[in-house]
Amino acid sequence: MLDVWVAGAAMTRVGKRTERLQDLMAEAAHGALRAAGVEAPDAIVVAAMNPEEFLGDGNFASNAASHLGFAQAPALRVETATSSGAAAFYAGFGLVAAGLRRAVLVVGGEKMTHLDTPRVSELISRSIDPYERSYGATMPALAGLVTRALMANGVGVRELAQVAVKNHANGLQNPLAHFRHAVTLDEVLESRMVADPLRLLHCCPISDGAAAVVLTARRAGVRVAGIGQGSDTLALRHRAALTSFKATQAAAREAFAMAGFGPERVDVAEIHDAFTPFELISLEDTGLVPPGKAGRATLDGETTLHGRLPVNPSGGLKARGHPLAATGLAQIVECVWQVTGRAEGRQTQARVALAHSIGGLATNNWVTLLTAA
Amino acid sequence: MIETIDASRCPACRTIVAPPASYCPHHPVAMEPVSLPGAGEIVSFTTLHSPPTGFKAPLHIALVELEGGARFVCHGAETRGLRIGSPVAIEAVDRVYYFSYLGVVDRARLFWRRAGHAGDRVNAIARSLAKRVWKG
Repeated sequence: MLDVWVAGAAMTRVGKRTERLQDLMAEAAHGALRAAGVEAPDAIVVAAMNPEEFLGDGNFASNAASHLGFAQAPALRVETATSSGAAAFYAGFGLVAAGLRRAVLVVGGEKMTHLDTPRVSELISRSIDPYERSYGATMPALAGLVTRALMANGVGVRELAQVAVKNHANGLQNPLAHFRHAVTLDEVLESRMVADPLRLLHCCPISDGAAAVVLTARRAGVRVAGIGQGSDTLALRHRAALTSFKATQAAAREAFAMAGFGPERVDVAEIHDAFTPFELISLEDTGLVPPGKAGRATLDGETTLHGRLPVNPSGGLKARGHPLAATGLAQIVECVWQVTGRAEGRQTQARVALAHSIGGLATNNWVTLLTAA
Repeated sequence: MIETIDASRCPACRTIVAPPASYCPHHPVAMEPVSLPGAGEIVSFTTLHSPPTGFKAPLHIALVELEGGARFVCHGAETRGLRIGSPVAIEAVDRVYYFSYLGVVDRARLFWRRAGHAGDRVNAIARSLAKRVWKG
């Protein structure tokens, strides 16, 4: 297996955008190619979770490639629900590691804010088991079930709320973030109930945006040290545990085994906090924090920008925003910027970064480890 | 009324899932049909305040562990007093499953209300509760 390098990374501002998805992808893709000094990629991997229904556009690998000006480049699309961006990165990694391609453009994006919230919620829910969906289960509903079980294990309301406070504080420092305002603990605790005990400010927003990286066999500033995928049952009811995600645990095991080091080497992490309890669960599932300690670590400030292990310096899904298939790549873009000293205003002292992405209700998860060369 | 719930069991790992499935989620083998009594314990529950189209707010959704270990998703009319671990009965209304909390008072009320026309189901509840007590 060849070493794979991230030669360039770029993303759009996340939020309500009026541009077409193809234009958002072009902005991110051309930015990443410029940063990599690559004129034209050997191949393109496109991530878009559901352009068929959000936009009415299909055949999206060719659609995006043609729009980017690379109609002749081999292009394919990868989809694993909300982790599609991370999955596309894996596919690109595989192409380069196998020696099939020398320079691969990986671009992911989603455009959702032009639809009303119930419709967006319904479309995202398509990634849930059909039987559970027939009972009205949405992503927030399943996350509500997980959150109540987590609280029964001793996680408190302040711990869940503090994740939002921290990630909003980080988003304030990120010019590309969807939310650039702080929230207080009381605001989170008093926000509207969405899926009891989950409140509005525990949840990420609906966002538009795109992100891209260029992966090369040629040595560059950041190396992909490890990458892993883990899966679990589509139906939440088919799982024995609600308060940890096997898919993350498997992905982390695989990624650390490939990297040849353990979680203690990680300096900074981008974690899939679509709902704030997921940040706590995932910190433990990845091994970054010992089991049962993530809430305490968060309250103690260990995961702030200046803490022992900064988590979601970009603001996370909570504040940077969650343009579905862009998210897994946006996390990697942030990690690249963190380990190369380009995270202006929110820079941490990091040489090793971890990106963690959840697909669906933790049915298809990814852990990616990046190191500064 | 207590229901009999159709489920499937994996001949390889004995995992039971409900409703029935063709294949075990953990093994590529055909599952065998089994029936479970519609009574169990709350694993978790939530109330959706902005439910999807076709549902009315507030929408109560629970994950219930049935006897035998299968977990089941159902609706409920209310969650007041409900806790993780609460015993519930599951009943079908128009082929949609609902849980009802079996507090002491509810258990008695359920018993008297249904004693006249659904004695068999009440017996099933009584049997399942007796079994619970017996199992400790």
